[in-house]
Amino acid sequence: MSVNLGGVTQMHDLVDELHARLALARRGGSDRARERHVGRGKLLVRDRVDHLLDPGSPFLEIAPLAAWGMYGATDDEATVASAGLVAGIGRVQGREVVVVANDATVKGGTYYPMTVKKHLRAQTIAMQNRLPCVYLVDSGGAFLPMQDEVFPDRDHFGRIFFHQAQMSAQQIPQLAAVMGSCTAGGAYVPAMSDETVIVREQGTIFLGGPPLVKAATGEVVSAEDLGGGDVHARTSGVVDHLADDDEHALQVVRSIVDTLPRPTPGRSAVGARPPREDPETLLDVVPADPRTPYDVREVLRRVVDDSALHEFKPLYGETLVCAFARIEGHDVAIVANNGILFSESALKGAHFVELANQRGIPLVFVQNISGFMVGREYENRGIAKDGAKLVTAVASSVVPKYTVVIGGSYGAGNYGMCGRAYDPRFLWMWPNAKISVMGGEQAASVLATVRGDDSEPEEQFKARIRDEYDAKGSAYYSTARLWDDGVIDPRDTRRVLALALAANHAPTPAPTYGVFRM
Amino acid sequence: MEAVLIANRGEIARRVVRACRESGLRSVAIHTDLDAEAPHVHEADAAVAVPSYLDVDAVVAAARDAGADAVHPGYGFLSENAGFARAVVDAGLTWIGPSPEVIDLMGRKDRAREVAERADVPVTTRHAPDAVPADAYPVLVKAAAGGGGKGMHVVREPAGLADALATAAREAASAFGDDTLLVEQYVEGGRHVEVQVFGDSHGNVVHLFTRDCSAQRRHQKVVEEAPAPDLADEQRARLQDSAVALAREVSYVGAGTVEFLVAPDGDLCFLEMNTRLQVEHPVTEEVTGVDLVRWQLDVASGATLPPQDEIVARGHAVEARIYAEDPYAGFLPQAGTVEHVLWPEELRVESAIDGPGEVSTAYDPMLAKIVAVGPDRAAAIASLADGLARSAVLGVTTNIGFVRRLLLSEEFAAVAVDTAWLDGEAAEPLLVAPELTRAVVDAAVTARADLTQPDDTGFGRSDGWRLGGSPTAWQETLMDPAGGLHRGTATLGNGLLTLLDARGSWVVDEGHVWRLDVPHDVTSPRMVAATDADVTAPMPGTVLDVRVAAGDHVRAGDRLGTLEAMKMELALTAPHDGVVGTVGAEVGQQVPMHHVLFTVEADDE
Repeated sequence: MSVNLGGVTQMHDLVDELHARLALARRGGSDRARERHVGRGKLLVRDRVDHLLDPGSPFLEIAPLAAWGMYGATDDEATVASAGLVAGIGRVQGREVVVVANDATVKGGTYYPMTVKKHLRAQTIAMQNRLPCVYLVDSGGAFLPMQDEVFPDRDHFGRIFFHQAQMSAQQIPQLAAVMGSCTAGGAYVPAMSDETVIVREQGTIFLGGPPLVKAATGEVVSAEDLGGGDVHARTSGVVDHLADDDEHALQVVRSIVDTLPRPTPGRSAVGARPPREDPETLLDVVPADPRTPYDVREVLRRVVDDSALHEFKPLYGETLVCAFARIEGHDVAIVANNGILFSESALKGAHFVELANQRGIPLVFVQNISGFMVGREYENRGIAKDGAKLVTAVASSVVPKYTVVIGGSYGAGNYGMCGRAYDPRFLWMWPNAKISVMGGEQAASVLATVRGDDSEPEEQFKARIRDEYDAKGSAYYSTARLWDDGVIDPRDTRRVLALALAANHAPTPAPTYGVFRM
Repeated sequence: MEAVLIANRGEIARRVVRACRESGLRSVAIHTDLDAEAPHVHEADAAVAVPSYLDVDAVVAAARDAGADAVHPGYGFLSENAGFARAVVDAGLTWIGPSPEVIDLMGRKDRAREVAERADVPVTTRHAPDAVPADAYPVLVKAAAGGGGKGMHVVREPAGLADALATAAREAASAFGDDTLLVEQYVEGGRHVEVQVFGDSHGNVVHLFTRDCSAQRRHQKVVEEAPAPDLADEQRARLQDSAVALAREVSYVGAGTVEFLVAPDGDLCFLEMNTRLQVEHPVTEEVTGVDLVRWQLDVASGATLPPQDEIVARGHAVEARIYAEDPYAGFLPQAGTVEHVLWPEELRVESAIDGPGEVSTAYDPMLAKIVAVGPDRAAAIASLADGLARSAVLGVTTNIGFVRRLLLSEEFAAVAVDTAWLDGEAAEPLLVAPELTRAVVDAAVTARADLTQPDDTGFGRSDGWRLGGSPTAWQETLMDPAGGLHRGTATLGNGLLTLLDARGSWVVDEGHVWRLDVPHDVTSPRMVAATDADVTAPMPGTVLDVRVAAGDHVRAGDRLGTLEAMKMELALTAPHDGVVGTVGAEVGQQVPMHHVLFTVEADDE
């Protein structure tokens, strides 16, 4: 879509586009597939999640636009909507859990490469935050045409069960409700779970389905007799509870969650206060064009409690705003770009990150960074080692880290500001955000200089590079590939961070060094 | 007269306590151990425990011990027991009611009929039991000493008479110790109309107009009204004059009721006289403005009644009797713990229970009477129906919703309900159990949503927020008492009355009470609808007992047989309603574990 630079309506346009895409993705499969699903007495996947969660409680969905535009027809970017898997954090019986639910209306709930990646991502979130996992299984297993991208590698299908075993060992409960097919490798999701439910005459678990059995041994058997609910609840013992329907199964899961040991309370939140500046006005204060400078404090004041920032070193390294604040009562240490990174900004950032670790306060990185300052003066003064200090401090942090990309995320700035590689607990993008090793403009110039073949006119070449960088650096390209945990409406930033902070039930280890003043 | 012992319990005991207090008299309650905490015990000035409300000696002794100088019998129990009245009088106490002789006389249907004939009160044709003319049928066989429908039988053909006589005689002998029988013309389609009369010790007798109590179920009144609707002036006059004449004939003192049957053709005939206060006396009080219980106390103290022309009736009153019974399960009496009671504040309520308490099947299942008044019949009915919609006894099933349906039926509005109507086919639509509606579930969920006070942060914030989608409505799944799960959505108040407790919600919908709990015991095996037709041996053992054969129809839970294993006797029960397909066991047979002992093919839903 075309963005009219300079007008205040641009962010609104981008957000409208986001919501349109989310609405498409949230529908799941085709009308026909959904009607057939419901016609069998099954609940749609997001309804299953709603029925599982406590009434009225929020759901922090992870990457609803995963696989966007990656598979299927080019005119239907939601062919594999949400990668055929709904994942997120919600509250069940008063405690937070990670829900991973197959959407059988999307290609039979089969696992595309991004489905696997999303499933693993949800499990990683569960591990890092010590959240019980609830798997609502309704899947035909691996998407066979792409088995080479789904099956063999370390972070492929098998890793799901590796994670389940690991988490179970760490006393992170693994629960499964089999609400549809659960074939072949998928059979291990319930089999590897601590406690399982199956829906009678609907859920099936088998390593080989009836057609495969017939081909292999000639035995003719119905799916229900091979691995239906009664078989597994009464005979095989693969599942622990038999349910009459989806509703019943979900209530059984709720009942199981109610029996789990309570998490030990972590750092408690104090009374939350809404920001003085209305978060709804966020779209009006942020220019959509990343080249237009603005004061990042305008954003922060619309995110934190009481719009109150306790700034650290406000007069030093001014292109990085470091501030203690609270979000819905949770202490946070915010590191936010307010221009290009200089040595001072990097040193200030490293100092502040150490301070947050010393105090056990979670870090929130607000990224809008075109990179570190370049040029002889800066290189000669060793900006590389100062940048490395920030990167080291971030990489070595023991407190939970959360990253929101509100503009550009380029080059080494991405590292210092806790990009995906630095294991933030969550990373979200605003719809205007861009992520790439460098800006399209710069890349075009650099590549034009180094190219050997100059048969293509330079301007045309540069334009092509710019377009490619624009497309591959977009928030949607990123979120489709699970480089982030979702593209969010900027006005939800406070809410999303607050939920993520509340979902953390992992203890924070002590830091091993004191604070180095830099 | 200074202190009155009330030889009764429940709402009538409370009613008399109130009247005593207003008359400046002390009240003494009696109670059994079961009733020690009953409201009437707390409300009376004093209370004495008795082994039974029917124990004449104990009750008289209680009156003496508590210093009571009069006894009010209420209705039921000993109220029409001449022996009790005599014992009270012999003990030197004032008996609030007619003399023992009159009680005796009117208590016998044969002799009461003779009195009626003497007083020129219309009666039905009577036949000698051994000489019933062939064209007289249908006839009614009743016990001369009886009451309350015991020993009463309608005989429609001569062939049935002998059996009916034998049965009635047996019942009468066992219930009343007297097997004298009466055979009378049976009036089909008759309405029950009665006249409230009052006599004083100075020979004055007045009437307080009519009541209609035709809405009865197996002779038990359900709805009563005053005055009786749809009567011609001369019928009304004839009823009232006859009633007064009858009372005069026996020099009646106190409150009494003369019951008549009004045939569809307008014929009137005397049924019986009740020598006590009636359950339904409030409807008469409401239209006449007379406090009948205070009149009883005053007359017992020797007061003179006002002249007939000073007694006037205005408007219309309707009373519903609220029973602890399940109208949709054959009116089975209900017992249990009442958790909460809701009565309509603007209506007159005479209740046995106003809050948490126990309902036992040991006594009459009537929990309350609710009375509405209006300028005319339609207004009174509407007011009562409205009040019933907001009435509920939470924890014990009642007939409130059913009575409300009755009041709102076309037949009731048209005065087409005769004494047999509720027992017949025409009333069946009223007896169809109501179904749990979406609105009820939504109301239960709404009540819970309204009351939930979540924290205002994180996942406790109950605004249904969704990343990238519109917020979800507040929805919750609740469980009915049978284990069924129902999903409801919180809505802006849909007008249904709800009450919450820690486990769930009560919802009152048109007088029907629904209980919806937060799901619990969802992993119980009973939660899974059985589809398995096989009943197998749960252990290796010996078949002790086979109770069914192939083709038998069984209900879920019926015992099919018994297996002895490991010194235990295991009941083998039907998993669902259905027909026994095969029986795979014989008594004495040794069977291995999982041996198919029975199959039960489920009925189609």
